[in-house]
Amino acid sequence: MLEIIDIATPRAYPPRVSAFTRRFWSSLAEGRLETTRCTACQRFSFPPKQLCPHCWHREVAWAPLSGNGRLYAATAIHAAPLAFRAVAPYRVGIVDLDEGIRLACALLENLPLDSPVRLVVLRHPDGPLFAARSVG
Amino acid sequence: MTRTVCIIGAAALPVGKWQKPADAPEQVLEHELLAGLVLDAVADAGVERGDIGAMAFSQCRPYTLQKYFATFMAHYLRLPCTGTVAEVLGNGMTAGLAFEQAANDILLGRARVALALGVNFESATSAAEHMMSSMRATGDVDFQVPFGITPIAWYAMDAARYIHEHASSRAELASVAVKNRAHAALNPIAQFRKPITLEDVLAQPMIVEPLGLFEVPPRGDGAVVLVLAEEDVARGLGRPYVRVRSRGFFHEGAHQISEVPNDMIRLISAETAGRTAYEAAGVGPADMDFAELYAPCTIVEVLASEALGLLPRGQGARAAAAGETSLGGRIPICTSGGLQSRGHPAYVTPFYSLFECAEQLRGRAGARQVPNARLGVTSAELGNYNAALVHVLEAVR
Repeated sequence: MLEIIDIATPRAYPPRVSAFTRRFWSSLAEGRLETTRCTACQRFSFPPKQLCPHCWHREVAWAPLSGNGRLYAATAIHAAPLAFRAVAPYRVGIVDLDEGIRLACALLENLPLDSPVRLVVLRHPDGPLFAARSVG
Repeated sequence: MTRTVCIIGAAALPVGKWQKPADAPEQVLEHELLAGLVLDAVADAGVERGDIGAMAFSQCRPYTLQKYFATFMAHYLRLPCTGTVAEVLGNGMTAGLAFEQAANDILLGRARVALALGVNFESATSAAEHMMSSMRATGDVDFQVPFGITPIAWYAMDAARYIHEHASSRAELASVAVKNRAHAALNPIAQFRKPITLEDVLAQPMIVEPLGLFEVPPRGDGAVVLVLAEEDVARGLGRPYVRVRSRGFFHEGAHQISEVPNDMIRLISAETAGRTAYEAAGVGPADMDFAELYAPCTIVEVLASEALGLLPRGQGARAAAAGETSLGGRIPICTSGGLQSRGHPAYVTPFYSLFECAEQLRGRAGARQVPNARLGVTSAELGNYNAALVHVLEAVR
């Protein structure tokens, strides 16, 4: 389970939810990070996809992810798009999860690259997002 | 029959803020500026209006009110065409793909002379508003955009990784901006021409850490017309021209990042497209007299230079700081002033790069002329260099 952090404000740019991605966002809201994994080649994809981009197999299954990884790259954005002006400057990063998945997300602290990080859930009033923070 | 495409004429608007606010009583109109440039470029080429058989436009920004711009221009110029009249879109690569569209009409025998042209007006829309749109072009709308990752934020993360892996520094990267401004000072169509020092660059406000205001592209408007022709036509004109020796293209099959971890700062698309282009031309990076690269931020110029084999891996920033990529250095890069100082009206930026190559290879670059420039390489890209289009160009005098 991922740590859940309550945030008072709504998301600046809420993601759309489809019949397929609803599973991802519903699980995330409960502290579970999941993505799809190919039932043939066993490789993960992220974001979750209805087919396997690696081998084009049509059948995938939902699989849990640990949320543990390392910070590959990071920045702080000072010049922000309109919707993000109120929260600027804000940090974002690229994280390599232990399962061998790379993703981009919000970053809660200024950390050296290659630091171990853990993903957390940001529980906004209108729905969840995910972010990375230092371990321990 | 084997055909060869050449650039025989060119005209470009100085990059700057041309677009007026929507409520201004008098507007500057895209088609009026572009039509004038068409006449300039065609006069520069020395061909007749009736020789032109195709027009490939870079698509206008959504802020341009006139829609179906290509066919509107065909009417405005009263120019019937046997080849294609079309608008092309491909993010930052847009004008590179439009250039290819025009070139392909020549290669396929549909036209003997073709125009590659376009206008990018956007400066009347604020950066904060523009980014609401541009961040949707450089990321997954549902899984990346909600974090507010702007286009240049991806490059900033490249910079962070580069400094970390190669023991480089912000100052080394910033030296690229100083070099580009020095080049722009010699370029009459550059947006920013006042020379700056490393201290000036480092003193600017942060935009996306570790990149400050002078290390990212300014916003601006621009327009360019290039006249392309089959080599028989070019040869008959008795003027210097530019031969397109080869091209290479590669899309790595990823959008910004892949979920499969890779070496993000090794620009595999530029490396592959570059290798394809060099091999097709039977040359190597060491044969290049200059390079005019698509590099919105200082870090991108460093990474693209390394990927194209112009500078050793991990040494690009150091080499720039040491003056190797300056005019007079071992391999001058972005003699136009690059995207930071020449300017970056994104949908026509690769046209501006080709324009600079045409100026250099026809010996018309004035104070920024690379002596005896014979071979040059140029690139266009999209995303975080997820795709690259590379051309090797040659002077024929």
